[in-house]
Amino acid sequence: MKKIEFKITLILIALLSLIPLVLPRFYIYITATIFVTALLAMSLNLVVGHGGLYQFHHGVFYGVGAYVTALLILKAGMPFWAAFILAPIASTVTGFLIGWFCVRLSKLYYGMLQISLGSLIWAIAFRWYSLTGGDDGLHGVTIPDLISSTRNAYYFTFIVLLASLWILYAILRSPFGTTLQALRDNPERCEAIGINVRRHQLAAVVIATFFAGVAGALFVVIEQSVFPDLLFWVLSLEVFIMCLLGGWFTFAGPILGAAIMVSLRTFVGTYTEYWTLVLGIILILLIFFLPEGVMGFFLERLGKPRSRQNGNDKAGASVGSR
Amino acid sequence: MLTRRSVTTGASLVMVAGLLAIFLGALLFQPGLTYARDIKVGIIDCYSGPPAVYSKDALNGFKLALKEINKKGVLGKKITFTTRDTKFKVDLALSMAKQLVMREDVDVLAGIINSGAGLAVSEAVAKKEKVPLIVWIAKSERITGEKGHRYVFSTGENTAMAGKAGGVALSKRPYIKYWIAGDDYEYGHALAKAAWRNLKKLKPEVKLIGKSWWKPGEPDLIPYITSILAAKPDAVIFCTGGRSMTNIMKAIKATGMAKKVAIYIHTATDHAVLKPLGAEAPEGVMGTMDYHFYYPDTPENRAFVKAFRAAYGNPPGFPAFHGYITAKFIAKAFEKAGSLDKEKFIDAMEGLKISSPVGVIEMRACDHQAVLPMFFGITRKSPEYGFVISSDIVTLKGDEVMPTCEEIMQARKGK
Amino acid sequence: MDGAQGITLAAVGSHFFVGLSRAMILFIVTSGLSFVLGILRVPNIAHGSLYMIGAFCAYTFNKLFGGGTMGFLAALLLAPLVVALVSLIAERALFCRLYEREHLMLLLFTFALMLILDDLVKMIWGADYRSVMAPEFLRGSVNLFGSSFPRYNLFLLVVGPLVAVALWLFTNKTKMGKIARAAAVDREMVGAVGINVSWVFAFAFVLGCYLAGLGGALVAPTISITLGMDHDIVIEAFLIVTIGGLGNMAGAMVGSLIFGITQSFGVLFWPQFAIVFPYLAVVIILIIRPTGLLKSVW
Repeated sequence: MKKIEFKITLILIALLSLIPLVLPRFYIYITATIFVTALLAMSLNLVVGHGGLYQFHHGVFYGVGAYVTALLILKAGMPFWAAFILAPIASTVTGFLIGWFCVRLSKLYYGMLQISLGSLIWAIAFRWYSLTGGDDGLHGVTIPDLISSTRNAYYFTFIVLLASLWILYAILRSPFGTTLQALRDNPERCEAIGINVRRHQLAAVVIATFFAGVAGALFVVIEQSVFPDLLFWVLSLEVFIMCLLGGWFTFAGPILGAAIMVSLRTFVGTYTEYWTLVLGIILILLIFFLPEGVMGFFLERLGKPRSRQNGNDKAGASVGSR
Repeated sequence: MLTRRSVTTGASLVMVAGLLAIFLGALLFQPGLTYARDIKVGIIDCYSGPPAVYSKDALNGFKLALKEINKKGVLGKKITFTTRDTKFKVDLALSMAKQLVMREDVDVLAGIINSGAGLAVSEAVAKKEKVPLIVWIAKSERITGEKGHRYVFSTGENTAMAGKAGGVALSKRPYIKYWIAGDDYEYGHALAKAAWRNLKKLKPEVKLIGKSWWKPGEPDLIPYITSILAAKPDAVIFCTGGRSMTNIMKAIKATGMAKKVAIYIHTATDHAVLKPLGAEAPEGVMGTMDYHFYYPDTPENRAFVKAFRAAYGNPPGFPAFHGYITAKFIAKAFEKAGSLDKEKFIDAMEGLKISSPVGVIEMRACDHQAVLPMFFGITRKSPEYGFVISSDIVTLKGDEVMPTCEEIMQARKGK
Repeated sequence: MDGAQGITLAAVGSHFFVGLSRAMILFIVTSGLSFVLGILRVPNIAHGSLYMIGAFCAYTFNKLFGGGTMGFLAALLLAPLVVALVSLIAERALFCRLYEREHLMLLLFTFALMLILDDLVKMIWGADYRSVMAPEFLRGSVNLFGSSFPRYNLFLLVVGPLVAVALWLFTNKTKMGKIARAAAVDREMVGAVGINVSWVFAFAFVLGCYLAGLGGALVAPTISITLGMDHDIVIEAFLIVTIGGLGNMAGAMVGSLIFGITQSFGVLFWPQFAIVFPYLAVVIILIIRPTGLLKSVW
């Protein structure tokens, strides 16, 4: 990380940690929601943007994380902290199982198999009445007093988000991350030089699902509720959109995408019932005018010298995914 | 190598700009603090998507009552309201409820058609933020039953009441072999449980020969009906709601089921269900409702229907009735409380009685559930209205169909 | 198990036929999706919305023509055409400019289209439940294997294969169909021999959407027409296309049959988890044959 970037990141962190002291409570809550959504989008982008996989039903792992947290607390009577650690593990296991079947397929087939496996989990959660509460979901999950107030929940999600982002960043800069991106850009060549494509992809899926599980557990901290919508494919598509919206070839793009989506539906939803129409139009404008996402667009403006090299990267990626 | 190394530069600039915008926005739009202001009711409901028919009807009922109330005012103030759309999504309901409480500083929350959202908002917003919530359509008995608490009220009939009404009415009929079928979600199951428990208690010789459940909104119900008919029950209790109602009524008509077995469906006699079906509505289906615009034929009801028709062009459905009495309850409770204090409002609500189009209605103190009568009837084509309506109506009094306070307390302790 | 005691031969028979008729609707909708997928290689997420528009248009036309047999036939004829027109506008105005772009962008576009169409439907028709009546000669039910079977479902059993045959004749016997098939296999080749590929794509897209609209118009008399009816069908259609083999028409038929019949029998044997059966079937098929039962066109 360059010096100036490091400085700006620090300033940003400082600003964000001041938010609860300045802003009214509702904005604290919305910012915390953005953090959770951003972590989910970041985890998805690891496999979509950097890994080039059609991870169409990522929301399932988020939902599993949330459901496991709620179930362990409500039904098994576990303390929150134990549930908070076990939930991402459960997501990871689910991610491994689903991923194991999926990585054998490519592109659309990967996505489709994942949608059907994910829908299976959704259907079970939706139907297993006695355990999951069916379509009503589970509510009133008890959260320790330490992190239950709006402000403390904010700080908690913020810290977890920072830690997760730091790990994700480190992973992407590691040899593993480099290989993953090379796989996305040119799978045939990688296979030719002896890289085990599937194993790398599976590892990426497992890592991504772990962080999706963390995001799911954080969701329970903020809302104290879980419900089947968290496992439904519509949510997965929304998260997918966040990555594309923010800029899926950038590191922080999905955070921006999540911020835009959450703000849109909170604030546009207040003024009109047609917010999906607004979203649809924004998306179309974006496809035509900002194909690299908002973040990609700004980076192009700001970092001219490097952008050309990156442009090549992108061209490579699009050829790869054809 | 990370694709872009200057990521953070861009990220930071954009986010700083975004944050500044939020800061400014928040400062500019921060609603004024409490000076002589109106009584604010925050309404969260689904105004887009299939259930909007009901929520809009409820809102119209609420608005009609406010028009009458605001002529005189309450505590020298007006009652105003603001609505938020939940799109039938629980997470949006939570976020909108929090927005109304934290940002708009509403005095009372009302609305909600979706039971899942009702329970979530009740726990995570009403109870946590200590703001009264009045649920007006969501029918889960857990809202004021097992999961009830000081801050949640209901002005609509719930599954326990509807189920008990069905059980009581069916126990007077000769059927022995029953089949239960319905939507596989909270509403369906709760209704089935309540109906069966009460029927069995009143008439121990009844037998349940089978059950089937389907996905809410399942487009094709004919396979279920064929397998039910194959088992030859005397009567079938369908526990369906929302958009499944149209589907099940159509399937009943298509298979000619109503001619072969007795059928009971709560809300089968609902105008909102029967009217769009027109001639396709099956006759001879038994149903219960807590409100009909044509029954009871009292001056109060006639006046309400007339005013509603004049304002909105169509007769009120049961949600309009719920919305209407909710507004009445809110106004009267604030008057009784004498201030905008939320705790005093709740104390005033408990045991409060208001007059309504169907007579006096009480807000039961023990569980915060409005005591509503139930009208049991059979669908029949009406020459007067040109479509199918409820006929041979029998009124089941509120205290006859409500679970007792002891039962409620038992359920709350049991959780 | 609940309901299991009710299983008789008659029940099995009637469930089989109900599953078949459900499969016919699924086939008509899915074949359109598969067609677009095969030629444009885009999973059209807005397909469900077009199906919904088909159903709503069917309602409107039925009312316009005074219901009855006349209204029903008018709806069946005109509703899919309106859907085709909507898709033609979307394709020529916007979609066709994206063919050279990143593949995921096409997917994103169809998602945006879905969002817009859903809200447009709400603006035009409102949120009320709508209901369409089947014409007189298709109402009621007939006796089949000792249990009653709705006439309308029998009608679907006739229409489904008719559509399938028409599609087969079209893709195999007409010039346009052959070009479309060729474009599915090798678009550069088709371009090289001087055919305007963009128009072939437009044609394929519109035809696919027409089939979605036809499915919507056909299903209209059996369900309540509401917002949100697109969500279920689109995911089912995707799964069917996947198990059948992307772009393969016969595969769409096989997939629809598997989906419709497992769903129907699931209801018979284990009602509570009936919803799980089709998904389970898909998972099993994809694990055994990862690229679908029949050959994918690409």
